[in-house]
Amino acid sequence: MKWFVNLPIRVKFFAAFAVVITILLVVIVTAKRGITRIEDFQKDIFYSEFANSVDLLRLRSNEDEIRLALVMMTNAADRTAKEQLHQDIKEYALSIEKRMQGLIERNRGDTVLLNRFEELNAVRLAFKETRDTQIIPLIYDGKLDDAKKLAFGIQTERFEKIRSLTNELVRYANEEAQSHMKESEKTARQTADYFINVGIIAVFGGIAVAFYMNRIIAKPLIDISRVAERITSGDLTVSHTVEDRSDEVGALSQTFRTMVERLQKQTRDIAEAINVLTSSSSQIATTVTQLAAGTEQTAVAVNETTTTAEEVKQAATVSNQKVKRVTEVAQNAVQISKTGENLVNETIEGINRIKGQMEYIAETIIKLSEHNQAISEIIASVDDLAEQSNLLAVNAAIEATKVGEQGKGFIVVANEIKNLAEQSRQATKQVRTILNNIQKSTSTAVMATEKGGRSIEAVVKQSVGTGDAIKGLTRSIEEASQAVVQISASNQQQLVGMDQVVLAMANIKQATAQNAASTKQVEMTVRSLNEIGQKLKEMVGYYTI
Amino acid sequence: MAINWEEIHSRLESAKITSDKGFQPSREERDRILKERAKITALESNEGLKKEESIEVLEFMLAYERYGVELKYVREVYPLTELTPIPGIPSFVLGIINVRGEILSVIDIKKFFDLPEKGLTDLNKAIILHSAEIEFGILADSIVGVRSILLNELQPSLPTLTGIREEYLKGVTKEREVILDAERLLIDKSIIVNENV
Repeated sequence: MKWFVNLPIRVKFFAAFAVVITILLVVIVTAKRGITRIEDFQKDIFYSEFANSVDLLRLRSNEDEIRLALVMMTNAADRTAKEQLHQDIKEYALSIEKRMQGLIERNRGDTVLLNRFEELNAVRLAFKETRDTQIIPLIYDGKLDDAKKLAFGIQTERFEKIRSLTNELVRYANEEAQSHMKESEKTARQTADYFINVGIIAVFGGIAVAFYMNRIIAKPLIDISRVAERITSGDLTVSHTVEDRSDEVGALSQTFRTMVERLQKQTRDIAEAINVLTSSSSQIATTVTQLAAGTEQTAVAVNETTTTAEEVKQAATVSNQKVKRVTEVAQNAVQISKTGENLVNETIEGINRIKGQMEYIAETIIKLSEHNQAISEIIASVDDLAEQSNLLAVNAAIEATKVGEQGKGFIVVANEIKNLAEQSRQATKQVRTILNNIQKSTSTAVMATEKGGRSIEAVVKQSVGTGDAIKGLTRSIEEASQAVVQISASNQQQLVGMDQVVLAMANIKQATAQNAASTKQVEMTVRSLNEIGQKLKEMVGYYTI
Repeated sequence: MAINWEEIHSRLESAKITSDKGFQPSREERDRILKERAKITALESNEGLKKEESIEVLEFMLAYERYGVELKYVREVYPLTELTPIPGIPSFVLGIINVRGEILSVIDIKKFFDLPEKGLTDLNKAIILHSAEIEFGILADSIVGVRSILLNELQPSLPTLTGIREEYLKGVTKEREVILDAERLLIDKSIIVNENV
């Protein structure tokens, strides 16, 4: 039955209804056939048996009418009444003739009955013959007795015979109708039984179809509906199992599950978003509060700034006056710096002269040093002489010793000479020491002179630098004086600008006031936003995720 | 720093005067020097009175020690200007010198006595010793002078000195001056180099 489950519901319904309609058709056909049969039976009864009976009864009653009319005709006084009655008789006779013909025609298939009708017709024709040809002329002729005799004689016999025959036939027809009725009832009962059976089958079939349809369509829908109810009651933890089927219910189930999952995800997202919203709105509220505070501060600051701007304006006026004085001062400064420049140039010249003299000093000292060297050489030769004198003295002493006692005095003299030689050596040593000191001093002096020379060069450089600096200063002062003029102009503009600033500050003040109002509105908005966030939180809290 | 030119000029002036005068000691200075010299001369003459037991010695420095040699063996002192080294002789003979046309050998007594070397010294004097047989020079750093020494002041020898050095010692004075026995040196055969090469 899997294939059926996979069919679209429309097809399923069509199929189910087709089954039910088929059963219904069977029932209808069956009913129709049964009813037709009953109808046939009733027609039979109505058109043959009952018709025969009625025709016969009418025929007899017409005969009675004619007999009555005849009697009345007999008793009629005048001819017109008689003719009137005769006319009625003729009409009745014609009616009888028609009915007789109809009966014969109708029962042509039934030979037994036809024979009886033929018999009845024969008697009737005879009765009619007699009446038309004999009785009525007699009546017209006034021979009423003859007519009565004839009428109550043979004619009565015949009439009785017709009556009995008619009654017999009526009875037969009634019996026949009775049997037909019974047969019809039987058929009707059979039809009803059959109809009931078929009906029961149809009912069970219909119930089965209904149950099956219920099971494959309604039940999954009820499941989905239950899940939907749980979702409605806020339980989003539901899980919906999807049947593996490809019809609309399957698709619905699949879609529903996707929807539930999306709803879960969405609710979760919304919950998160609401958390963010509430925290954001709190932050915004804080910010707005700070903003409000800031706006107040701004208002205070704007007031202060306005005051400051006024002060600045005053200051600008004062500075404008100062600038004029500064211009004069700058011109003086230019003069002074030019004088300074000249002085520096003179200084440089002087220092250069000093430099030349320093060089001369250095040269002189070097010459002194060279003289020293010459002295040193002389001293060396003196030293040598002393040494040799010493040796000579010793040798003299030796020679004196060789002489003996006479030489003693000479030894003393030789010793004295030796002592002198020694002293002159000592003196030369001292002179050498002094010369060394002089040499050191000259070296120091040369170095000092060199240093002095370098210092002077540095001073020259510095002086040149100073000159440049003073030149630069002059230029700067000139530029400054030009700048002062520009500053004066700027000051004027500044004054105008400060007026604009004051105006602008007033605008800002106004704007700040508006800002404060706006901030309050924003605060209220944020509060309502926060409330909405809380409400949303409650709403989402209704769902268990 | 301002230069006091006036002071400099005055100092220069005084220096010029001094140099123009030349080195002439003042009167007091000269008197003082002469007095000192007289004192010294007087002391020497006192020593000379009791000289009967004395010898004249020539004092000289060698390797930072003071030596003395008896004057009667000294011919003369001579500056050691040109020394010619000679190969193939003992190391104590430094070389030969030319003394006014006379060729003499020069001996380093430190090496001869096997004394330890004590750094570099001047060694620019030669003392020429002489006897009847031989004449040669000994090296000296410098000549101190001539003086007379009392023989009884002379201690014969140091007990610590042994060997070759003791032979050539005449004695040691109180001032630790070593008096060489020049006679012994002069007669010593070991000093004569006679080698056929």
